[in-house]
Amino acid sequence: MEKSNIQKMGGLAAEKHIQYILTVEKRKDDFVSVVMEHLRMSGAYWGLTTLDLLEKLDTVDVDEVVSWVMKCQHESGGFGGNIGHDPHILYTLSAVQVLALFDKLNVLDIDKVTNYVAGLQNEDGSFSGDIWGEVDTRFSYIAICCLSILHRLNKINVEKAVSYIVSCKNLDGGFGCTPGGESHAGQIFCCVAALSLTGSLHHIDKDLLGWWLCERQVKSGGLNGRPEKLPDVCYSWWVLSSLIMIDRVHWINKEKLVKYILDCQDMENGGISDRPDDAVDVYHTYFGVAGLSLLEYPGLKAIDPAYALPVDVVNRIFFGR
Amino acid sequence: MDLLLQFQHILESDPLIDEVGFVHPTQFATLTEDSTGDAAISGGTTFWCRDHKPGVSTQAVLPLYNAAKRAFIAAMEEYKRLGDDGLESEVMKHSKALLLLSSDFGTAWNSRKLVVSKKQQLSMYMGELLLSALVLSCSPKSDQAWSHRRWVIKSITGKCSALQEILGKESELVEKIAERSKMNYRAWNHRCWLVSYMTREQVLHELKKSRNWAGLHVADNCCFHYRRRLILRILKDSKLENASPGYSVEVSEVWKEELDWNEMLIKCYIGREALWLHRRFLSLCWMKQFATNLHDVSSHSELKISTINSFNSFINNELHLLNSCSTVPDNDFEDFQVQATYSATYILWLTKQFSEVWFEFQEKLTRGNLKTMLSKVCPERSFLWDSLID
Repeated sequence: MEKSNIQKMGGLAAEKHIQYILTVEKRKDDFVSVVMEHLRMSGAYWGLTTLDLLEKLDTVDVDEVVSWVMKCQHESGGFGGNIGHDPHILYTLSAVQVLALFDKLNVLDIDKVTNYVAGLQNEDGSFSGDIWGEVDTRFSYIAICCLSILHRLNKINVEKAVSYIVSCKNLDGGFGCTPGGESHAGQIFCCVAALSLTGSLHHIDKDLLGWWLCERQVKSGGLNGRPEKLPDVCYSWWVLSSLIMIDRVHWINKEKLVKYILDCQDMENGGISDRPDDAVDVYHTYFGVAGLSLLEYPGLKAIDPAYALPVDVVNRIFFGR
Repeated sequence: MDLLLQFQHILESDPLIDEVGFVHPTQFATLTEDSTGDAAISGGTTFWCRDHKPGVSTQAVLPLYNAAKRAFIAAMEEYKRLGDDGLESEVMKHSKALLLLSSDFGTAWNSRKLVVSKKQQLSMYMGELLLSALVLSCSPKSDQAWSHRRWVIKSITGKCSALQEILGKESELVEKIAERSKMNYRAWNHRCWLVSYMTREQVLHELKKSRNWAGLHVADNCCFHYRRRLILRILKDSKLENASPGYSVEVSEVWKEELDWNEMLIKCYIGREALWLHRRFLSLCWMKQFATNLHDVSSHSELKISTINSFNSFINNELHLLNSCSTVPDNDFEDFQVQATYSATYILWLTKQFSEVWFEFQEKLTRGNLKTMLSKVCPERSFLWDSLID
């Protein structure tokens, strides 16, 4: 048996992953960091949440992170992916989530952020990503998740937001980006989580959707995002959390999925990749660890399937210290 | 700065450039060897161009990106301060270079939207379609590039008489990109989005026209979803007040044709998930249509009797298909086993969505049998079969 396979049987290489993330966080000038700089805010959320799940958030300088996050805020109240970048709802949620991790939501002008997000709701209940008007159910989830964290859900038309999401439901039980769009595990997560956060899960046919979701598990134990596609670690999150929210997680083989995620680790350099032996990145490292957390893998903090934040962070937001 | 000027010069000197590629430095030697006459440019080992397709050395990407970004930011700052024509072209020039190197740099796309929406010239909107197509040639999955095209179309709707033609070209572009970039969600999502802008005739035409491609890409779930999108639109149109009876007949024909074609593909390409999922949709809609017809028609009419007959023959056909797919002649290839799983799952799925039809199936095939079949060909999902089949 290959050396790396033997190593992988040892389980989750937590220390290695922590070191990998800290290295990536410091790197700003290499090729990958530079061409991804427009989405650094999301990268920060993936990296920092992973650290928190591994109970190592304290290895990062809070003040440095918070200061950088706030520099990314635009006069409209929205956040850009990095300093000097245009605001977008995607990075606004990531910014709020990062601040939530550090219990620093109090640095925000809540009304300012709320106005930005609420202002992106359209007549039909959908949400645009920014002032340029692209509509996508991902943005519906982002708006609902963000405002829920800020205790300002009442600033949007929740009923219309829900009815728009429901209009994106397909005959196979899944959801797409817009009405009539192909069902995709990522979009499904967004719609299910949004419905969950607004107490609207009764709109979902749980058996029908659960069936579509469990058919994502392939022979290797990994999950894909759509029919006929290869498995990818990130679907360990999108599919798994959806199944949990609709109470159908017993329809997949959890042990095989755990094994698949562990097989995607780089045991030497740390980090997790989309599938075994591919190059790692922060995005897949986060989803691999988050997936393992949902599967109750030992040594990890619990993660909330709808907010995609550690449960203790969510409890702090809603129930105080 | 030199690199950036060279790159931009190449882009500007040839208006017919339709593709940009990134080439590993070791491949440059072979490229410059092959080139003839004025098709090659003496950019040394950084740039190369032939047949309107420039290539950039991957080694140059990082310094080029940094230069383009610096130039773009500087141009934007000046433009926001002073906002005149000369500065607009600087913004457009630098954002173009930047986007070819970093296709999802949202701020650069936005700057172009700002400039173009201020000028309100149709030619500039068309220019955006050209630029985003160029970006898509090297980054076919770029979310921002596809989104930019939608912004253009939304902006020119109502102001442009050639919209139908533009929609047709959009559809062709997706198919062209989908050929090289298989199961490209963003591309096909864009094509589905176009449907709501199409006329009834265009929708029918698209369905016919895209069929050959689908038949050659039976593992691509995207293209079959696109057909479902078109079919749903056709169904919706047939229910409208002003729909002619002739249109309803055409719809039935479309349906029958699609079902038969799907069955042919299923028998030809064994164990293809996308084909079976397509059949789930087609059969579900077909059965819903039967139910509606039966409901609309009085008990003893001839139409009701013929509807029931059609319904029964449909059920018989599906059971026949199940039987023919359930034999696993050998275990040399997984395909037969997979086919058997898909066919049994398909029938089970139908009975779950349409409990009325369960009775019909039950007479000819008990659920118990279905459970046995599924447990045999797909034992790793036994917990699922146990949950779904009482």
